[in-house]
Amino acid sequence: MCELYSKQDTLALRRKHIGPSCKVLYAADPIKIVRAQRQYMFDEKGERYLDCINNVAHVGHCHPEVVKAALKQMEVLNTNSRFLHDNIVEYAKRLAATLPEQLSVCYFTNSGSEANDLALRLARQFRGHPDVVTLEHAYHGHLSSLIEISPYKFRKGKDVKKEFVHVAPAPDIYRGKYRENHADPASAYADEVKKIIEEAQNRGRKIAAFIAESMQSCGGQIIPPAGYFQKVAEYVRGVGGVVIADEVQVGFGRVGKHFWSFQMHGKDFVPDIVTMGKPMGNGHPMACVVTTKEIAEAFSSSGMEYFNTYGGNPVSSAVGLAVLDVIENEDLQGNATRVGTYLTELLNRQKAKHTLIGDVRGVGLFVGIDLVKDRQKRTPATAEAQHVIYKMKENRVLLSADGPHRNVLKIKPPMCFTEEDAKFMVDQLDGVLTVLEEAIGAQTESVVPENTPCRTKAAQCFVGSNPGRGHGTAHQTTLRQRPTCHN
Amino acid sequence: MLGEGDSKTEPKAPGGRRAGGRGPERLGRRAGQRRRGEHDAAPRADFRGRRVPSARQAGAGPGRSARFSAPWRPTGAERPRRWPCGGGCSVGHCHPLVVQAAHEQNQVLNTNSRYLHDNIVDYAQRLSETLPEKLCVFYFLNSGSEANDLALRLARQYTGHWDVVVLDHAYHGHLSSLIDISPYKFRGLDGQKEWVHVAPLPDTYRGPYREDHPNPAVAYASEVKRVVSSVQEKGRKIAAFFAESLPSVGGQIIPPAGYFPEVAEHVRRAGGVFVADEIQVGFGRVGKHFWAFQLQGEDFVPDIVTMGKSIGNGHPVACVATTQAVARAFEATGVEYFNTFGGSPVSCAVGLAVLDVLEKEQLQAHAACVGSFLMELLGQQKAKHPIIGDIRGVGLFVGVDLIKDKATRTPATEEADYLVSRLKENYILLSTDGPGRNVLKFKPPMCFSLDNAQHVVAKLDAILTDMEEKMRSCETLRLQPEAALLSPPLGECALLLVLGDPELGSLPSAVAPSFQTFCL
Repeated sequence: MCELYSKQDTLALRRKHIGPSCKVLYAADPIKIVRAQRQYMFDEKGERYLDCINNVAHVGHCHPEVVKAALKQMEVLNTNSRFLHDNIVEYAKRLAATLPEQLSVCYFTNSGSEANDLALRLARQFRGHPDVVTLEHAYHGHLSSLIEISPYKFRKGKDVKKEFVHVAPAPDIYRGKYRENHADPASAYADEVKKIIEEAQNRGRKIAAFIAESMQSCGGQIIPPAGYFQKVAEYVRGVGGVVIADEVQVGFGRVGKHFWSFQMHGKDFVPDIVTMGKPMGNGHPMACVVTTKEIAEAFSSSGMEYFNTYGGNPVSSAVGLAVLDVIENEDLQGNATRVGTYLTELLNRQKAKHTLIGDVRGVGLFVGIDLVKDRQKRTPATAEAQHVIYKMKENRVLLSADGPHRNVLKIKPPMCFTEEDAKFMVDQLDGVLTVLEEAIGAQTESVVPENTPCRTKAAQCFVGSNPGRGHGTAHQTTLRQRPTCHN
Repeated sequence: MLGEGDSKTEPKAPGGRRAGGRGPERLGRRAGQRRRGEHDAAPRADFRGRRVPSARQAGAGPGRSARFSAPWRPTGAERPRRWPCGGGCSVGHCHPLVVQAAHEQNQVLNTNSRYLHDNIVDYAQRLSETLPEKLCVFYFLNSGSEANDLALRLARQYTGHWDVVVLDHAYHGHLSSLIDISPYKFRGLDGQKEWVHVAPLPDTYRGPYREDHPNPAVAYASEVKRVVSSVQEKGRKIAAFFAESLPSVGGQIIPPAGYFPEVAEHVRRAGGVFVADEIQVGFGRVGKHFWAFQLQGEDFVPDIVTMGKSIGNGHPVACVATTQAVARAFEATGVEYFNTFGGSPVSCAVGLAVLDVLEKEQLQAHAACVGSFLMELLGQQKAKHPIIGDIRGVGLFVGVDLIKDKATRTPATEEADYLVSRLKENYILLSTDGPGRNVLKFKPPMCFSLDNAQHVVAKLDAILTDMEEKMRSCETLRLQPEAALLSPPLGECALLLVLGDPELGSLPSAVAPSFQTFCL
């Protein structure tokens, strides 16, 4: 392996020159990754890790077909979209073919954040309304305009919610207001949106859009109940707003049965604007907004050009086309369904075995394991989740934890993830959870009342100094780290 | 299809330039590496187009730069038939070293910056060596727009203030937040927000203080001071002054030397920061310096610098450079900044390759040399063609300001448009900008040669000559009413002027036959 710097030096240089807001995974003990292929990543020592989180490497790290397509085009032409070129139009055509007919106009950008910002501009230009309804714990990107509509971000910082932003409850049927035992959680959550819209209207405000991730990732791998989006769309459109489906994390066949996650909700649900990014180029910086002719025409009627220097360039388009080809040729959607089902089945067996697992939810290769301290109360097991991801890393499995309480283990691997990988991952998890529960059990046997702060501290103390494993120092630090998201 | 794990494959070194690990001694400057801003001295063009020593006079052979050491040249088969004079491909389209670097890294790893990797830190270190010392903290992103948005966030977080001062006709990007600070955009869209304050563009050709003013730098800076004061009187607070180091969309403007340092003083006194947008003009384009803001003097250091476009020779890369103080203030929010693709191993490998090519092929010196030559040739054209009101530029960033009238300096918008379409017919790609859309802008790939410059100017000369002859010969034609609305009557044939204007896709039928007469 050809390294420029030792890991220590790499870290030192990073501290010196990279903005400190840019965090590393496993901050107490970061990994240096130098190579990756398919669903595996390799560190500087050649140790192989099973990658369960990089949905960006959608068709597998460094897929040769995608690499080849990029090379072929880079050698010939890479310029902006103000010149006619076949790649951009071919790619737009292929993308549009994956979507319902009315979603036919594409704008190419470089990142999901740029795409979501443009989606907001399109929505606002459409009828001149300014307000946006967003979901609790949503994350739509790092740009100024998107932090304003991402409670996941603005609640954390000192930013105050803007008056043109309205936050509806996330349709979380495990931990939200209406749960799995509710008669009709879809309608109940949709009615919350309706209430918010009415309140806004009564104050003379006008709704431009309702924006939601088709499945919330940072929010904790949330799958909205069937029927929710249809009802929301009805209410939003009723007041002249549009529906934006943010597929940046979850598009391109990840859910298995459908190409786009919003399609899980039925043919009668068609968003007005769809944004996509992340997996689109298998790591190449590219993203896209697809919308209707009507919305596109309203946008161009301002007379102002939309020009994105790199968006839609021939190389990005060639890469995008190659990714679509691989998804199709390798039946990655089918794989996502098969392996995803198998994985969920294995995890449900673990749930029966481990009281730490409160919920297993997912579809295709988008799965979440909600860890709880108490199954009745569903108290998030935040510290335990951090412990688990560090232990899994030691066992050479890359996982991350998210959700508002950082207690949901997120699984969204490259789509070439196999059943063997799933079995391996679950076996490791089983081992880690078994040890963890034994230790917690041993701690709580020393008669600490359930609801006292000491009980929490006991868990933390355990995590801080696991006598069986001797990794005290590293793990104590983990409690202070801010877990990472967005990938 | 790759086998699982693929542990038998010998991984290639990331980036095309590596040769084995180099260890800790590389943390410092590499042996033989130039100090920041240093480059081989080349004849410096007076950006107003006044006489300067030509490349030939400087001792260069005919048609070649004295300092132009064996660069990559397309072979005969590849030689383009078109000479591009604009775009983000700084070291030349499809430069093989850059392509190779991207390809090699693409085969090994392309993932996000949450894992440690050498490329991102190496690239940050290399960039820091091109900048003043205090600009040593970097954020990597994908586009100039993303960079400027982050710069805005950094400025606001650091200062605790909200308002922004910008220049008239500025353009900082297409994102919602940037349209708000780009008069070039917001004047046509949602209008000016109350937290945005616009100072006059320091245009010494067309602005309020011109080339005959004793000290336009101070005069324009006083305008900023006035804006800042009036903002403060309203109880508002300035977070930042944003400016393109050389306003491009505003018409290839070269701010007078001394302007930025004065402005920075006023802005910082009010608690704001100075953001230099180098997206169009960084990476050696101006010839004498690596960054265009360095034209404003050794002592002038912005608080935040944004870069993009040419940084990756077409690959989506961008960057924000700032001080430790600004970076720490941003970190203190406790909110992570994560950019999915920013700082990826491939993007950094590409960025490093571009820096290598700039250095190996001495493109900065080349820009100085060819730029001077181009300015000289254009200066000759200015003496010959009254439509050329001004030639301004530095290095390979040049503007040709076309006017209808020398006294009034009225922009020759339609003429400029016509000229661009005629040039295209001659396989030369140029575009126009400026609020009057009358400034021909040259910002070609940095491998643009003396031959290219000569060729473009020769064509320009021929077309302008042709236009002038046709104007003289059409005194016998009556001016059509519709055409008269499009340009003020000058006693010349205005019909010619509507040709090639894309907004006039369908001409009134009364004009059409005349259109065909002059359409070549």
